[in-house]
This record gives sequence, structure tokens and C-alpha cells, in this order.
Amino acid sequence: MENSAEEYRIQSLDMDTQMLLKTALKDPSSVNLEKVSDILVDQSLKDQVFSKEAGRICYTIVQAEAKQNNGNVFRRSLLNRLQQEFKSREETRARSLQEWVCLVTFICNIFDYLKVNNMPMVALVHPVYDCLIRLSKPDALMNEEEVDCLVLQLHRIGEQLEKVNGPRMNELFYLLRDGFLLQEGITSMARLLLLEILEFRAGGLGAQRHRPQVLLQ
Amino acid sequence: MSNWTRGKRRETRENEHENGSSGPSRWSHCRKRGVDGSLRANREEDAGREKGGHSDSRNASFTTPEGTGPVSRCGRKADWGTQVENDEMKRDVHRDMQRRRILGAEVTQRERKISSGSSGSCDSKEGEHIETDEAVLLRRQKQINYGKNTLAYDRYIKEVPKHIRQPGVHPKTPNKFRKYSRRSWDQQIKLWKVKLHAWDPPTEEGQDKVLDDIEELGIDDVMDIELDFPDFQNVPASLTTHSCSLEGADDCSGTPVKIQKTETTVQPDLA
Repeated sequence: MENSAEEYRIQSLDMDTQMLLKTALKDPSSVNLEKVSDILVDQSLKDQVFSKEAGRICYTIVQAEAKQNNGNVFRRSLLNRLQQEFKSREETRARSLQEWVCLVTFICNIFDYLKVNNMPMVALVHPVYDCLIRLSKPDALMNEEEVDCLVLQLHRIGEQLEKVNGPRMNELFYLLRDGFLLQEGITSMARLLLLEILEFRAGGLGAQRHRPQVLLQ
Repeated sequence: MSNWTRGKRRETRENEHENGSSGPSRWSHCRKRGVDGSLRANREEDAGREKGGHSDSRNASFTTPEGTGPVSRCGRKADWGTQVENDEMKRDVHRDMQRRRILGAEVTQRERKISSGSSGSCDSKEGEHIETDEAVLLRRQKQINYGKNTLAYDRYIKEVPKHIRQPGVHPKTPNKFRKYSRRSWDQQIKLWKVKLHAWDPPTEEGQDKVLDDIEELGIDDVMDIELDFPDFQNVPASLTTHSCSLEGADDCSGTPVKIQKTETTVQPDLA
């Protein structure tokens, strides 16, 4: 039992919630899947560590539900809740950088894990790009936590993103290049991160080499 | 028309609307899933839940001139959940098409050696007779999915494995890859679904479920109404909609309809 708690990083949740999630993994039709998806989204927005790997537990529940009764209640409510959060992302960013960063991390993580027939979900491609491009805007580049989030996501899913939409990746990198070269007030750490990601892209976004561990913890 | 009756009518409409998505209809106890995909067992949640992202969601997804990819014709279904489902269905259909092409090529070669029958007997195994229009295939697949999304179908496939099935006796899913006219296809689907009803859950089950529903709604008193006419005045208006779902219950066959009619004539007098 403890293994699965660690595996899915749900130790930060209270025991009742952990039980609910574990039941959802084993017997999805016996729980309120809409509530489960809400819990997972809420926790992801609060807990940065959780948001980085929450996609995994979501994926497992989706698979479990599909296998058990060919259903997709969980996936549907998860995606629609995510869509709501995405719609109000600007307010979220204004209210709390931390929450905004968690949201982006979570959306990207979902994009990474929840595939449809082993292909990325088309519906998420533009929203993910919208988020990353937002992180590349001048005001965001001033904040190290936003830059850090941006480079992390590009390392994780950049290659996949470029495959599904190359032009938007170009759009994103024009912003990054301009920011790196022209923008004043960026911290040296942020500049270093940007330089690294620019080189990373020049090298094919990880298609040809392992990703280096240049991350703010 | 008094304010009271106008109010009552609105309330009835609202109740109908609220229950609309999980539709207490005559056949609802046979349907495995509601219109939004959730299993019937979780019906209570359906009614309350708002569908995420109606007309506004379009703004969110359309942040660039190019759209987010496959979006349903009707804009109101642009929520991510639906988009992903449509996407998935498209991929499934494409995969089916590929399989059909591969299988079709293999079998055609074998068939040419052995078969002397008409092309109608080969289940769309010849390339030029296969339906390839994506829109048509998707539409047909959707219709097939509606039929397969029933308790009856689940029970049928468990009860009758494919090798035992007899043509004519056992319903067979129409083959979406064969060329048919629209009308012919729609009729095949209709007949197929009607045949599947033979495997609907037994009426005892259905009746119990309906009776459970009655209790859930807290209208046990309705059962006594046929005996005690004056009690009608105490019955809330929402019953007029719920009593429709009692059609399956043998105990009050006919009575619910009578109750409904009587109630609607009684109510105005109470104004």
C-alpha cells in the first residue's frame, strides 16, 4: 500500500483522500470520478511537487476505467476541469505565480502522460503552447520561477510539441531569443537557463542527446 | 393565467431540463451511460453537473487563427473532453479502415481462387465496394456506438459468443465499411437496435429499479393516490414529470398516466 502512495506522490494528501485515490485506481466505477478529478486538479495547483507527476496517477485511473467498463468519465471531467482552469489562467497568474506555475506544469504533465492511441491529445496542443508562450513574454521572463518552469517543460515535452506543431515552436523560440538578447532586468540565472534552452533547441530538443540537469530546485 | 400556475409550469420545465441530461425515459434503465458518458449508476451527479466550457470555451481554444484541430460542427461541444473523444473515435475509425484494407487485400486473393459466389456474399472484401468517406464512417460509428452502449448489448455479447450466432436470429452489427444508401443504413441500425432489445434486463429488475427510483424521489405516497383521491392536493408538481418513468412498473400500469392527467386538471383549482 505504501508503495503506491510513494509511486504516485500522494503522501502529501490526507489519509481519506489517499484511500479514495487508491480505490479509484483499483475500482474506478465504485467512486465518484468527478470528485477524484477535482481533488487531483486542486492538489496539483497547490503542490508543485505533485503537479510534476500527477499526470501519472491520472493516466492510470483513465486506463483502469477504460479497462473496467470502457468508460471515460474521469478523463472527461479531468479535461473539462483543466479547461476551466486554463480559461482563467490570467487571473490565476495575477493572483499567484506559484499557482500559475503549478497549472502549467500540470497541463504539460497531462499532455505528456494522457495519450490517445499513443498520440498526444490534439485538443491540448494549442493550450500548452499558449501557456509556454505566455511564459516567454517579457513580464514572465523577469521571474525566475516562470523561466524555470518554462525550461523544465521544454525539456520534458519540447520534442513532442515540436513534432505536432513546428511553427508554434518557432514562434516560442523567437520570443525566447529576443528575450535573451534584448531584455533588460533578467536575472543572470534566468539568462543562463534561456541560453541553455536555446542551445537545447539548436541540438534538436533532446532528440539527439540527453537533457542536462540545469534546474532550480 | 395566474402567477401560481406560471410559476409551476416553469418549475416543471426546470425539473425536466435538469433531468434531461440523464433522461428518465422509458428506456433509460436499459442505457448504460447517460448522454455525457457517465454510467447510469452515477445518475445523481449528472443532473447537477454543468458542462464545462460552452460558448466561451471557443475563445480559449481559438487563441490563434488555426484551430485546435478536430472540433465538432456544433460549437457548444468544444470542450476538451468532447474534443478528445471525437479525436479518439476518428483514430479508431482510421485504424479500422487500415485493418480492413489489409484484411481485404489478403482475403480477396484467397477468395478469387475458391469463391464462385456473388460479390454480395464477400463482406466488403473487394476494394472498390468499401465505404471510405470519413464523415460517413464517423457518423456510422457513432450510431453503432449508441447501440453498443446499452445493457442489452453487454448482456447479448456475454450470452451469445460469435461462433454460436445464427444469421437472422441473432442481431449482427451492421458493417460500416459496406456501401449502403443513407436510408438503407439507418434502417439497418434501427432494426439492429430493436433486435437487441430482446436482451434488455428482465422486467423484474427493471421494475425494482423503477420502484427504487420512486423511493429515492420520496414519493412513496404516490402509490396510495389511486385509492385516496383527496390526497392529490398534497402532491408536489414535480411528480408530473417523474410519474412518466413509472411506465415500466407493472404494479401501477396505466395508473401513473391517469394520475398525471388528473393532477394537471386539479392544480389550476388550487391557484
